[in-house]
Parts: sequence; structure tokens; C-alpha cells
Amino acid sequence: MKKLCFSIIIIAAIFFLTSCSVIELLSKNSERVTLTIMGRKSDVKKSYLNSIFEQYEKSTGNKLDIIAFEDAEFEERAAKKFSDGEIPDIFLHFHNADLSRYNVSNNFYFLNDEPWINELTDSAAAYCKDSHGNLLGMPFWESSVSGCYYNKTILDSLGLKPASTQAEFDVLCQALADIGYNPICWPANGCTWMFQFGLDPIFADNPSLLESLNKNEISYSDIPEVRNMVKWISDAADKGWFGPNYLENGWSDISYNIGSGNYVMTFIWDTWFYTDFENDNKYGIDDFALMPIFMNTANNGTYEGGNLNMMMINKNGENLQEALEFLKFCADEKNYNIAFDSIATVNCFKGQTTNIQSPMVTNAASSIEENERVSVAASRIIGYSADDVSDAFNKLFCKKTDVLTCVHLMDDYRIKEAKKYGADGF
Amino acid sequence: MKKRFIRLLPLFLMCIVGISAVLISFVYFDFISKRIYEDSTDHLEEIYAQVNRSFGAFVERNWGLLNSWANYFIPTRQQYEEISDFIKNEQSYWGFSEFYFISDDNTCMTIDGIKSNMDSETSWNTLVHRKNPIMAAETLSTIFAVPVKHGEYNGFGYDAIAISYTNEDMANSLNVDAFSGKAKCFVIHNDGSVLLSTQVGGNVFSSYLMYLKAASNLDEHSLSKLSKDWINGKSGLLQCKIGGVSYCILYQPIGYQDYILLSAVPQNVVSAGFLSVQKTTINVSIVLFFMIFASIIAFFILRGKKQSQKNKMELQYRERMFDVLSNNVDDIFLMLDAKNHNVDYVSPNIERLLGIQVEEVRENVRIMEKCAVNANIVIPEKELESIPLNKNKYWECEYMHQSTGECRWYRMIIYHMNIQDVRKYVIILSDRTHERRMNQNLQDALTAARSANEAKSNFLSNMSHDIRTPMNAIVGFSVLLDKNAENVDKVKEYTHKIKTSSHHLLSLINDILDMSKIESGKTSLNTDCFSLPELLEELNIILMPQAKAKSQSFKFHVNGTPPEKIVGDKLRLNQILINLLSNAIKYTPEGGEIEFLVSELPNNSSNQYVKLRFAVIDNGIGMSEEFQKNIFNPFSREISSVTNKIQGTGLGMAITKNLVDLMGGIIQVESRPGNGSKFTVELSFVLPEQEASELWFHQRVNKMLVADDEEDICLYIQEMMHGTGVNVSYVTNGSAAVETAVNAHNDGEDFQVILLDWKMPEIDGIETARIIRKKIGANVPILVLTSYDWSEIEEEARQAGINAFMSKPFFPSTFKQILEPLFLDGSANNKEQQNKNESVLKGLLFLAAEDNELNAEILKEVLSMEGADCELAANGLEAVEMFKKSKPGYYDMILMDVQMPVMNGYEATRQIRAFERPDAKTIPIAAMTANTFAEDVRNAMDAGMNGHLAKPINLDAVRDLIGKLINK
Repeated sequence: MKKLCFSIIIIAAIFFLTSCSVIELLSKNSERVTLTIMGRKSDVKKSYLNSIFEQYEKSTGNKLDIIAFEDAEFEERAAKKFSDGEIPDIFLHFHNADLSRYNVSNNFYFLNDEPWINELTDSAAAYCKDSHGNLLGMPFWESSVSGCYYNKTILDSLGLKPASTQAEFDVLCQALADIGYNPICWPANGCTWMFQFGLDPIFADNPSLLESLNKNEISYSDIPEVRNMVKWISDAADKGWFGPNYLENGWSDISYNIGSGNYVMTFIWDTWFYTDFENDNKYGIDDFALMPIFMNTANNGTYEGGNLNMMMINKNGENLQEALEFLKFCADEKNYNIAFDSIATVNCFKGQTTNIQSPMVTNAASSIEENERVSVAASRIIGYSADDVSDAFNKLFCKKTDVLTCVHLMDDYRIKEAKKYGADGF
Repeated sequence: MKKRFIRLLPLFLMCIVGISAVLISFVYFDFISKRIYEDSTDHLEEIYAQVNRSFGAFVERNWGLLNSWANYFIPTRQQYEEISDFIKNEQSYWGFSEFYFISDDNTCMTIDGIKSNMDSETSWNTLVHRKNPIMAAETLSTIFAVPVKHGEYNGFGYDAIAISYTNEDMANSLNVDAFSGKAKCFVIHNDGSVLLSTQVGGNVFSSYLMYLKAASNLDEHSLSKLSKDWINGKSGLLQCKIGGVSYCILYQPIGYQDYILLSAVPQNVVSAGFLSVQKTTINVSIVLFFMIFASIIAFFILRGKKQSQKNKMELQYRERMFDVLSNNVDDIFLMLDAKNHNVDYVSPNIERLLGIQVEEVRENVRIMEKCAVNANIVIPEKELESIPLNKNKYWECEYMHQSTGECRWYRMIIYHMNIQDVRKYVIILSDRTHERRMNQNLQDALTAARSANEAKSNFLSNMSHDIRTPMNAIVGFSVLLDKNAENVDKVKEYTHKIKTSSHHLLSLINDILDMSKIESGKTSLNTDCFSLPELLEELNIILMPQAKAKSQSFKFHVNGTPPEKIVGDKLRLNQILINLLSNAIKYTPEGGEIEFLVSELPNNSSNQYVKLRFAVIDNGIGMSEEFQKNIFNPFSREISSVTNKIQGTGLGMAITKNLVDLMGGIIQVESRPGNGSKFTVELSFVLPEQEASELWFHQRVNKMLVADDEEDICLYIQEMMHGTGVNVSYVTNGSAAVETAVNAHNDGEDFQVILLDWKMPEIDGIETARIIRKKIGANVPILVLTSYDWSEIEEEARQAGINAFMSKPFFPSTFKQILEPLFLDGSANNKEQQNKNESVLKGLLFLAAEDNELNAEILKEVLSMEGADCELAANGLEAVEMFKKSKPGYYDMILMDVQMPVMNGYEATRQIRAFERPDAKTIPIAAMTANTFAEDVRNAMDAGMNGHLAKPINLDAVRDLIGKLINK
């Protein structure tokens, strides 16, 4: 009985809303607008974006003028447009350090009060907010969860279980090593993303540190947690937790190392298993599970949320309302489920159902919810370069530097890059 | 064999002791190990039984709490707040982390109303359906739950209540302080699943059984048994290796829900106590063992070292001794290896003896070849090979010292020996130079002895010839005299020749005796202060007439300002110079030139000595170079047509040379035949302290005038008189002298002495004196200073008013001697004094002691010819008696022979002087002896005599002596 009533109400609502939309559409048809959207060429080519753009144009009759710049020229040309006053209605950009070029507070509309914000997953919303909690854009983007993916089959066979604290993780690594397994696949040759996982909790949990670092008021060496991280990585390497050939291992080795069972764990993201993992080894994707990453910077571990491209609205544009309506259109459960149909991604919208979501992520949902951090280090630390950090660590791994020198080297690289970028305070 | 066994015995014993010690240690440690391990495992079981009990109490307590709350408190409280406050109070008291209400659908709600799902689904059946309390593991906690009567809290229906503890709290409840925290303790289910763990960091084990299966070395059987034990609730202990570490796995059932308390303790921790004891024991044992071993080794090493050191020291001592020995002998020692001739040893004295380095010889023994004077005589290699073993051979060879060039003779003896089964050549080079030289010296001595013998024969031959010659003349002329006694002219002629021959014979005898005495080393010097000018004056007086007799030019020169007084043996110096000068006169033809030059040589060594050179230069016959080499040998006379006519003993120059040597001087001769000779004597004399002559001048002479055309001489006199207080004025011609003397006289300040050169231009010295006498009278003494013989003009000079003559060079002392009589008696002259002396003998009575009657008669006759009388005594005693018996003053003088029978002259003189009569001390006594040496004179003086007369008595000498004694 209850279900019947509920269905009637829903149908009535749909009818009502459809009627409103039709009325509205009819009223709009008389004054169709063209919204300008500016973004990277590679970004605007994404299928889910094209899908939503197409849906919008069909649905509203409005036009979307896509201004796409080559990736390499994007920041320069977009910044030039902004400085010339040619600011698009909708601007596609990642929430990273480059965003500061565009005078965010003056040019973009804060979306804090938009009706769809509750549709966003916490991690996606968090990614899109500035340090003051203002929602800068809508994350209409594919996402993933970076964490410690482990071979649960092996662990089960050894009578071991995943770690829930840093100390347990250390015990687990040593237990695996004692048994003769290589605990962590850490491909130091060219795989530069590892380090940011450790740094994220430091700056995500304490935004003032990030602010001071970006103002060049403090450096890595002033932050004990950074030194702890570097020391833990160094010790782990020394204890053999990265295996014997970690310095030679690179991107292409991860799949075999993990799939063959030579290594039990690695720090990677879920979508990797769908894009790069070769499923023809001893262990397949079903043998793996997800637990947090432990790098001695968060006691209960951390997951890194995806880097999301945001749709940002020109608050001073003539088509502000239309642009806001466009976002509203995108946040519609039906629309985004059409757009993300069969796309392998972690949810940005809570109602995403058509996308492909890894069971590993699903099974670790509660843990992810508790321990996920926004990707801060790579995107928001001014002057951060994964290659530079990797270079500093390689020197440490090769015993050319000690822990403290490695931290200083990371600082040197960062400051040099920031100066090159022309950042304030450097 | 036995010796070797004894030597190795300590080693055997040490090995046996060592092996025994190791075996005993092994058995001991094995026993101890087992015992301690058993104790340790017992201890381990006991500890974990205690833990088990403690944990059981903990579980019971929690369940008890829950039951009590469920039964008594919660049902009675209706207000949620009241229940909440109560639970929170209990939470703070008991320390659990959370309180849950649990529903039968596996959901739960906290006291704050937070809902969640429980993980432990399996245990839930036990709790909810079987209504049994449970203990279950959640993700980060362990819960204790009890079933309760269905109730509702804050709208939540529940069928059980639970409290949870964090894993950390749970771990603390199980933690064991023992085993240094290295023990891991688990609560596991009997299927192996882990409920909780005390492992630092938390629990990562899902199934400990599977973990052991994967990680340990336990086989299937052991694992199966273990699993059965757990299922059957049995306790047990097993050992296994996990990750290379040995563990003791202890399991005991807790008694609830099939839970088992399992502990995994590293075996080294369990046995830590034993290991510590074992380690310490092993360490101590090892240290002790090594100490003992080291002590034994050290003992043997020290003993060996001591022995070695002793042997080494002995060897060094021997080597040192041998080195010292070889260094102090002139024998060189070498040892060669017979095979390769490498040098094993070479004595260090080779450097001293041959001037080659030891290292050089060590490198190559052939280096010695360069020392061989005769290249054929070296170490003969072929000869070496030919020496049979234990035999030797020797050679004589001459080697030259490489540094000094000195050649020495060596006898090389080579021994072929077998030393410790190695053939060696031992070579000894013995220095035979001394022997060779001794032989040579003996040969030379033999030759010399033969020469000496020959020389002696020659000497005797010469002696006999030289003595016989005058003796023949004396004897012959005495015979002729006897035959022609009536012929006065013949008598005079013969007596003159006898006299001449006698003098020659006397001088020959004197020279021979002198020479003999010098050569026997009995000659000594009688040094005293004497006046050099006086000596020169005497020489001049003696030799000038001889030179004049041969019409020779005899010149005296004094260069520089030699000291007036010197200390030396005047007599011997006189003898040397007379010898040289008389030879010069003798061997210089008539009309020749003789020059006598005295000069002072620079003497930087001391102000107390003066070195004088006396040079006698003539232009006589000279000498051949050959003769010059032998001129100072006795009886050496150059034989030529000229020298044959000249009388001489051939001893004069030998005596002169010996006297010069005696006085520490040198004598040199330069001569060429026909071109004259130059004899140079250099002697050093001591300078006397300043004498009293200066005082004499101070007291008597204030000013004097000197006139000489050579101003240098005037200045010389001024300089010589400096310090005497005499103001010396000088002029350079006679007229000026007259004018100066007259002016002084007119001023009433007459010069007290005027000294005039004889030969001055315009007016000579005599004429100047005559004019001065006329103008100022005879009060002022006027002297003539000349280097010429003034005898011819003496009479004229005295008539012109000259008071005295003085020979150049000028010496203040001579000047004083001449002035003294003038100041005593005004214008006394030498001639008158001479006459006085001659008259002294007249009327005197002499006592003459002479044992030889002939001599006594001659003496008496001679004295009587002088108007004196003489009483004779035959010996000393007789003379003493005669003097004793005579009245005081009876005898005027005693002439005493020295060598007399009964009592000699010295003793007689001493006795006479010892008499108490007044003239005993004053009566002049003169020695009368043929002993004319200086010590004879000294002996005479020492005996109390006043003078010395040499036999045969020379009347002039007697006259002079008496004159002097009477004057005194």
C-alpha cells in the first residue's frame, strides 16, 4: 500500500515538473542564449562532457560555444583571455595551483547555495572547495580512489589481515617480509605519484600549513610530518619492504609484480585495474582489495580522492543565470547517469549508478569515507613537482643524501619551481 | 729423537689440555643449556598460566559487570539520561571504550544513540540465540557481551548489552612484562583465528594457524597436531622458526568459547638468562683460556726471547769483542763463501788499515785489488781453489792505504774451513810492516854502527893526529930549546912556538872535552841576566884585533832596538858567537870583509821573550854544498889547499850547533865556495824585569848633548834614554855642538854629559871637544861615540879633552858604565887604571895550593916575575893548615887547585871560609883548575871562592881577576 502511494506521488511529481519544464522551455525558446565554455582541448573531448553538452543543447535550445586551447598553451592563452576581459561563461579547470592565475574570488561565482550541492559526494565537494569552504565549481569529471591495493588472497593464505593503523601496517609489512614476500611494490623508476599520497594528509588536515608553505613562510623541513614521511619511506626501503629491485621497477612492472604475487601491495588507484592491469597473471582483479595508504603521516591511513575538473561560472558574465542553470542541468541525476554511462569512475554525484565502480572501492567504502583526503599535494602546493620529489627520493634511496638533506632538496626544488612560476612570496 | 720429543712435549701437553678444555666446556654447556632451557620453559609456562588466569579474571569481570548492570541497574531505570550517566560513570571507572545495546538483528547502538552493525556475526549466534556471553573481535576493538532480557533504550530494542575495549587496552590486559616485551601474546579461537594480540602495533593476524603454516618451519604433522590440540583444548609447547627466528609457541585454553591463549616468545628471549650465563661463562672461559694460553705462550716466547737475547748478546759481545780486538790490532779478518766468494764478514779495521769501506768490501771483495801495490798480488782466486780443506796458505803482499797513500806489508793467510757444513775461506791479513821496518832498521843500525865505528876510528885517527901535531911541536921545540938554551933569539923563537902549540893543544883538548860533555848530555845552561851591549863590546874587543891583524873589515851592526838586558847563558852565547866570528876571520883571506849583524825578530807570542838573530857574514873561501851538510858533524873539516893551512880541531861548529840546540835555537848556513858564508843563529831570551839603571840616571844626569851628523842616531839615543829622566838635546854638526854647549854654559845650565860622534863633516868630534873644552873648561865629561877603532887617536883625543870612548851602538847601560867612573873621580882614564891593575900584584903574598909540583913551580915563577910572592901547599888540607897557622892578613890571596889529593880545593875553601878569623870570609880565593865549564865555575863560587882561573895559568887573567877582586 505504501509503495503504491509512493509511486503515485512520484508520477504526479514527474508530470508536474515536466509540465514546468516545458513551460519554461517554451519561454526560453524565445530568448535562446549561447554559453561560452573554455577548457583544455583534451578535457573538452571527454565523452561524458560531450554527452552532457549535447543533452543540454537539445534540452534547452541554448548553444554552447566551446573554446578549446591546446593543453600546452592552455594556461597562457586562457590567462590572456581573462586579462583581456574575455572571460567565458563557464570555465573548465582543475582545482590546482594554476587556478590562482584567474583571480578566482573576483571572476567566479561561489556555488555554496546552489540546490544541487548535496548531490555531490563528500570527497568531490571537498575537492572543489577553497580554503574558506566556498564551492568553486561543479566536479563533472571521472574520478578514482588511490589507496593501498593488496592481494587479499595472499594475505588470507598467510593468516594475515589488512592493517587499520600505521603500526599494524608496519607489522604487516614485516610479517610479509619475514615470510618471504615483497610487501610493497614501489616502482621508484619513473613512478612519481607515490609521494603525494603521503603528503596529502599533512596539508589536507591542516590547510594553514599549505597556506604558509605557499606563501614561502615555512618549508618542508619545518614540518615534522614531512620528515617523518621521508624517514618512513627510507626505513621501509632499507628494511626491504620495497623488494630487491624497486629502484629499477617502473610503471610497466607494476602489473606483473602485483599480478604474479611477487609483491603483495601497491599504492595505486582503482581505475588502474581497469586500464593497465593485465589480468592474465596468477592473480586477477578479484584477488585484490583496498586498504588505506600508510606513510607515517596519518595513523589510520589515507586515500587520495581524484583530481577533478570543475565547471566554474563567470559571476560577472551576462549569462550568469543561464550558466547556473547549465550546472543545475548537469547535476540532474538522469542527465549525469546518461553522461557517465559505462564510464569507470568513482562517484562524484551520489546518485551515479550507470558508471562502473570498482568492488574494491565499494567494499572499502566506509574506510574511504573516513580516511579519504583531497589530492592536495600535487595540485595545490605551489612549485610541487612529482618528478623533483622523486629525484630527491632517488638520491636518498641511492644513499647519496640522508633524510634531512632529502627534505632540503625537496624544498630547493619546490622553491626553484615556484620562482620559475613567479609565485608571490618566492 | 729423545731430545726432539722432550722439546715437543710442552706442545703435546698444551694440545691435550686445550682439547680436554674444549670437550669439558662442550659437555658442560650442553648440560647447562638443557637445564636452563627446561627451567626457562617451565618459567614461560608458569608466566602464561598466570596471564591466562589474569585474562580469565578480566573476562569474568567484564561479563560480571554486564550481568550486574543487566540484572540490577538498567531494568530499574526508566530515564535514558539516568542510564547514560550511570554507564558513563562506570566507563570512566572501568576503562572500557564503549557501551552497546545490541539487537538480535546484529545492529547495535551506543549509549549516545549511535547505531552501527556488529562485525562478529559468528559470535552473534552464541550470544543472541544460545544466550551465552561472548567475547568477540571487532575491527579496532574487542567486545564483551552478555544476553539480557529484551529491553529498549532510546527507541532501540535490544537483546544483549556489551562493552568494548580498544585493542590497545586489551593488549595491555594480556601484556607480559617479562621477556623484555619481546613476547607476543594472542587470544585465538580454536580454529586459529585471532581475537586479539599484544603485538606492538596491533593485530594483523587473521588466522595464526595459517600464519604458522605459511611463515614457520612446522611441517603438516606438527600443524595438524597443533590444530587438534587447540580443538581439543589441550595445552602445549613447541618450537619453530619464523622469519629465521626460533620461537617457543605456548598455548593454553582460556576456558571460554574455545579461546586459547597463545604466546610466541623468541627462543633467545626465553633462554636469555641461560644465554647470558652461557655467554658470560664462555667469555670468561675464553678469556681464562686465552690468558692461560697467552701466559704459556708468553712464557715460552719470553724464555725463547731471553735465550735468543742471551745468545744475541753473547754473539754481539763476541762480535763487539772481536771488533774491538780487530780494531786494536793491525790484522784484517775476512770470511768468504767458498762457492761464490761472497763476503760473509770483514773486520771494521779495514777502513783504518786500507782506507776502504767495509760495505765496499762486502759488495765485492775484488775492491781490495785496487789497494794492492803490486797488481799481481791480490787474493789469488786460483790459489784459493787449490787450498785443501782444513789447510792454509800464506802470501806476503804490499797494500797501499787508499786515503793516506801509505804502503804497508801484510802477510795474507788463507784458511780453507768447513763451518756448519758450509765451506768458507777465512783470510787474515797480518800487518808485517813493523817487522819489515825493524829488519830494515836493524840493517840500517848495522850500517850506522859500522859507520860509527868507522867514524870513531877516523875520530881517533884525527885525534891522535891532531893531538900529536902540537905535542910533537912542543916536544921537538923543547929538545931544541934545551940544545940552544944559550941562544936568546932561538930560546925566544922556540918558547914562542912551544907556547903557540901548547895553546892549540889546550884549545883542542878543551874542545874535545866540551864536545864530549855536550854529547853525553851533561852540559847545562847557566842562565842569568846579562847586558847584550856588554857582550857585543867584549866580542868587539876580542875579535876586532884578530880581524885587524888580517887587515879585514870588521863591522858591527845592530838593527832595530834590541833590549839591553836579556836573560840567558852569556858564556855559551859568547862561545857560539866567538866560534862563528873567529871562523869567519879564520876562513876569510886578508883584506876580506866580515860583518856581524844583530837584529831583533818580531815576536808576537809574548812580551816576556825576545828573539834575536845573530848573523855572521863573510866573503871568505865559502864551502861546498856537500860540506855544508856535514859542517856540524864533529871533526868535519873541508879539505882544501886553503883549509889545510888553517889550524882547527873540527869540533867548533859541532859544539856551536849543539849549544844552539841546547838553547832552543836554530843555526843555518848559506855558502858557496869562493863567495863567502853566512851563518845565522836565532835564539830566544827571557826579558828581565826593569833594572835600576834608570834610577842611576835620574839621580846623576839631567841633561846631555848629542852631536852626530846622522840624525837617526841622535833620535835613537833620545829614544833609548827615554824613561831615564835625562833630557837629550842633539845637534847634527860640531859647530852647533859648540854653540849649544857654550850657550848652556853661559846660561849657567851646563850639560852634564856631551856625546860627540868622531867623524863628522867640517869639524870632527875631537876638534869639537877641543873647542868646547877651551870655552867651558874641563868639568863637563865629553865622550866620543864611534864604530871605529879609536886606539890610534886615543892619545890625541885625550889631549883634546875627551874623557872616554864609547862603541856604537849606543846602549844606556854601557853609557852608564862609562860614566860611572867619570862621575866618581872626574877625569880618570883607562890607561892609569890599567897601570894600577898592573901594580896590584906587586908585593902581594899568595897562598897557592897545587899538587902538581911542576905547575906549582911555574905559578911561583910567574908571580915572582910580577913582583909577588907565593907560598905553596901540596893539597887542600895543607893549604887550610897554612892559612890557619898564618896571622890574619898575612896572605893577600889564595890560589886553589880544585882536584888535589887528601882534600880538594872546594872542601879546603869551605873550611877556610868556616874559620872564625876576620880574613877568613874576605880573603880572595880563586879556583885554579883545568875544568873550565860553567858548572865548574858555579861549583867554585858555591864553595866560597871569588874567582876562577883556567889552567894553565894565564898571567893576564890572574892580573885581571886580582884587579877586580882588589877593586871590590
